[in-house]
Amino acid sequence: MAERRGVAPWIVWSVLAALGVFLSLDGVAARLGPGADAVDHALLLYGALPRIAVAALAGAALGLSGALMQRALDNPLAEPSTLGVFAGAQLALGIAALAAPALGPLGREAAAFGGGAGAAALVLALGWRRKLDPVTVALCGMVVAMVASSLTAALILARGDYLFALLIWGGGSLTQDGWRASGAIAAVLLAGGAAAFALRRPLGVLAAGEASARSLGAPAPVIRIAALGIGVALATTVAAEVGLIAFVGLAAPTLARLSGARSADRTLLAAPAVGAVLLLLTDGVVRHVGSGETVPTGAATAFLGAPLLLWLLPRLVLADRPAETRAPRLLNVGPLLISLVVFAALALLAGLVLGRSDGGWAIATGDAFAELWPFRAPRVLAAAAAGAMFAAAGVVLQRVTGNPLAGPEVLGVGAGAGVGLAAILLAFGGAGLPLQMAGAAFGALAALGVMLLVSGRGRLGPERMLLAGAGISALCLAGLNAVIATGSPSAFALLAWMTGATDAVSLPQAAAACAAALVLTAPLAAMLRWLETLPLGDATARSLGLDVAAARLALTVLAALLTGAAALVAGPLSFVGLVAPHAVRAAGVSRAGPHLIGAVAVGAGLMTIADLFARTVIFPYQLPLGLFASLIGGAYLVVALGRR
Amino acid sequence: MVTGFGAAGGSPVRPSQVSRRGVLMGAAAICVSGAASAQAAPARVAAVDWAMLETTLALGLTPVAAAELVLFRSAAVEPAVPDSVADLGLRGSISYERLLATRPDLVLISPWYENRRAPLERVAPVESLAIYGLGSPYEAAVAATRALGLRLGRSEAAERAVAETEAELAAARAALAPLAGRPALVMNLGDPRHFRAFGHDSMFGDVLARIGLTSAWTEPTRFGAYPTVGVEALAGMDDAFVINVGPTPPAVLAGMRASALWSAMPPIAAGRFVALDPVNPYGALPAARRFARLAAGSLAAFARG
Repeated sequence: MAERRGVAPWIVWSVLAALGVFLSLDGVAARLGPGADAVDHALLLYGALPRIAVAALAGAALGLSGALMQRALDNPLAEPSTLGVFAGAQLALGIAALAAPALGPLGREAAAFGGGAGAAALVLALGWRRKLDPVTVALCGMVVAMVASSLTAALILARGDYLFALLIWGGGSLTQDGWRASGAIAAVLLAGGAAAFALRRPLGVLAAGEASARSLGAPAPVIRIAALGIGVALATTVAAEVGLIAFVGLAAPTLARLSGARSADRTLLAAPAVGAVLLLLTDGVVRHVGSGETVPTGAATAFLGAPLLLWLLPRLVLADRPAETRAPRLLNVGPLLISLVVFAALALLAGLVLGRSDGGWAIATGDAFAELWPFRAPRVLAAAAAGAMFAAAGVVLQRVTGNPLAGPEVLGVGAGAGVGLAAILLAFGGAGLPLQMAGAAFGALAALGVMLLVSGRGRLGPERMLLAGAGISALCLAGLNAVIATGSPSAFALLAWMTGATDAVSLPQAAAACAAALVLTAPLAAMLRWLETLPLGDATARSLGLDVAAARLALTVLAALLTGAAALVAGPLSFVGLVAPHAVRAAGVSRAGPHLIGAVAVGAGLMTIADLFARTVIFPYQLPLGLFASLIGGAYLVVALGRR
Repeated sequence: MVTGFGAAGGSPVRPSQVSRRGVLMGAAAICVSGAASAQAAPARVAAVDWAMLETTLALGLTPVAAAELVLFRSAAVEPAVPDSVADLGLRGSISYERLLATRPDLVLISPWYENRRAPLERVAPVESLAIYGLGSPYEAAVAATRALGLRLGRSEAAERAVAETEAELAAARAALAPLAGRPALVMNLGDPRHFRAFGHDSMFGDVLARIGLTSAWTEPTRFGAYPTVGVEALAGMDDAFVINVGPTPPAVLAGMRASALWSAMPPIAAGRFVALDPVNPYGALPAARRFARLAAGSLAAFARG
C-alpha cells in the first residue's frame, strides 16, 4: 500500500497497529511477572493471546472478503452484510438451536456457513438474469437479508430465553476460551488468500470492463462468482467463529484504497492488513470501555463505521446505468384500479371480522363483533395506514430514481427510526409509547438528513441515493443488532418493534397513523407532474421546465416522512413499499396518479392481510406482522426478479 | 358476573383452616366483609406476567388464562400449570381475543406491561404488582403475594405461601450452614464463552443472601442481571461457587466443560460448579423457593464434605 508519494499511510497504519497491540496487551505483562500464578498463565494462554490472534485474523479475513466482493460486484458498498451473508448465517444458527440444541460447535459452524452461503447463493441467483449488475445484486442482498432478519427475530421472540446464544452472536464478541476459533479462521484465511492470489489478474481486468474480461477466456460472471464464493467462505467462517462483525468488510478495502492501493491486486493485499489493524484496534478500545462486555466488538465496529460511510459516500464513483422500465402499458386502467380498491376494502373487512377461536375460524357479527372490534380496529387501521404510506413512498422513490426496485425500506429511513427507538429505550428503560414514537420519528429524520447530506453533494443521482440508503440501512441494522444482543428487556421491546408490533397500537394511535397517511399523501396530488416527468430522465425533465434538484429533494423528504411514520407502526422490515408500486406498475399502470392510487390500495391491502396472518396463523401465539409482510414481499420479488 | 367456580373449587384453603393465626383471621375477616359489601373476590384471574402466574397458583387459585405457557412449563417449570389454563400466547404480544374468550374478572400484570394496560382494561380490571426494580426482589415478592392475597380474598393462603417459602429458605440455610458466608456466582450460560451474571439485586442474589451465601457478582446490573460476561470474569473468584441456572442447551454445557480456559478458572478447577434445572429469574416466591431448594440440593455435597 506504499506508493511513491505515500509513505504516510504506512506510518499511520503501523502506529495504529502498534496501538491496537498495546491496548490488547494491557494486563499481559502483569500476568508474566513474578507474582503471576497458573490462573494468570491460563488467562494469557487461552484468553488474551487467542483474542489478539482472532481479532487480527478475523479482521484480515473480513478485509479480504470485502475486497473480493467489492471487486467482484464492482460495488464499493458490497460486503458480507449487504449481501445477506450474515443475516443468512444468523437465521441458520437460530434454526439449528431450535431443531438440534445438542449440536456441537462444529455443527453450529457448519450451520452458519450453510446459511450464509445459501443467502449469498440466493442473492446471486436473483441477480443472475441481470448479469449480476451491482445495483440489482445490492438490492437483492437487502431483500434476502431483511427476510432472513425478520425470520430470525420471529424465532428469538418466540423462544426468547433459549436463543440467548444467538443474541450474543449478533453482537459479535471476540472473547476466546482457547485456540480453536483462531485456528479455524487462519486455515480459511490461508486457503482464501491463495485463491484470491490466483484470481488477482482476472479481477484486475474485470475492473477495466466486461469486454476485455472476456478476452481472458472466462466469462465475467464466472470470475465474479468465484471471487464472491471465496469472500462468502471467509465471512461465514468469521461469522460462525466469533459472530456478526459488520463494517470491517466495508471499511478495510475502502481505507486500503484511500491509503494508496489503487490496483486490484494491491487492494487484495492491503485490505486484509487494514482489516486486521482495524479490528485489533477496535477490540483494544472496547476492552478499555466499561467493564466486561459492555460494548460487543461487532457493535463497536458498526458505530465506528458511520463517520467513514458519511465521508465515503459523496466520493463514490458510480456509473449511472440507464434504468430499464419496459413495463406493459394499459390504456384503460379504470377497471384495474377499481378492483385494487375493492381488494383493499375486502382485506380491511376480513381484518375486522375474521378471527380464530378455540373452535377454529370464526366470522364475528353482531354482539361478537361489537366486543371484538375495539381490539381489531386499531391494528387493522394502523396496518392499512402503514401499508398505504410505505406504498406511496415507494411510488415516489421508484419514480424519482427511475429504478423499479427502489423502495422506502432501502432508503435506510425505517432502520434509522429503529436506532432512534433504541436510543430512547436504552436511555429511559421502560419508556411510554409517545416517547418511543418521538424517538423513532427523530431517528427517521436523522437517517434521512444523513442520507440527503451524503447523497446530495453534487447531485442526487438515483444509484448513489439507493446505495447510500442501503449502506445506512445496513449500518443501522448492525447497530440495532448490537443493542438487541444485550438481551435486556429493552432489547426485546426493540426486537418486537423491528418485527412490527401492531398489537400494541391503541385506537388514538391508529387514528394518528391514518391522519399521517392522509396528510403526507395529499401533497403528492400536487406533485403528480413531477412524478410524471422525473422518470423520463434529467434532460427531458429539465427541458420541460422542471427544477430537477428541487423536485427530487421535496419528493425525497416526503417519501422519508412517509416511511418514518409507517415504520413506527409496522417496523422497518417489510417490503410492501417496494412491492406494491412495482406490482401496480408491472400490471400496466404507468401514469403517476393511477400508479399512486393503485399502489396505495395494494399496500394497504397487503399490510392488512399480513396483519391478519400474524394474528391467526398459530393462534393464540401471534407472529410479527413484519414477518408476513416481508415474506409476502420477498416471495413476490423472487418471482418478479426471476421474470426480468 | 362470576360464571364458574370450578377452578376455585380445587382450592385447599378454607376459612376453618386458618384458626391458628388470630391476626390473620382479623385480616381475612376484614377482607371478607369488604368483599361482601362490594363484590365477590375475583375468581376468574388471567395472569399476563409470569411472576403473577406463579403467585396466583401459590395462592391456591388456578387462573383461567396465562401467557406463554409452552415456555413457562420448560423454563420456569414450577408451579405446575394445570391444562385448564388457557394460553394467551407470547408475553410480549398476547392475544386479546383469547383473553376476551376466557372471560376473566381480573387481569394481573407487572409494570413491564403498562403499555398494554388500555386494551387489557377493556377486557377486565387490571392489577399491576411490581417485584423487580424496587430494591429487594424477595421482599417485593412477599409484599406482592400479600397484596394479591388481599385482592383475591385469599390472605390466609398468602400468609401460608410466605411462611412455606420462609421455611424452605430456612431449611436451605441450615443445610448450607458449613458454607455460610461463602460467595457464589449465579449465572446463565449463553454460549460456551459467555454467560449472564445475576447480581445481589436479582431474585437469585437475594435468595443467596437468605440461605447464607453472598453474591460473587459485584458489578452494577440492570434489572438484577448483567448481560454477556466473558469467562475470564471468574479469575478473581477464587473461593466462589458457580451456579448455572438453566435453561442451557446441552451442547453449551459440554462446550464449557471441554474448554481449556474454563477448566483453568479456580472455581471450576476446584470442582465448585453446579448446573441447576431452569428457574424463572424474574419470578415470585415459587421461583425463589425453587431456586433455594435446587441450589441447596446441589451444594449440599460441598456442605457435607
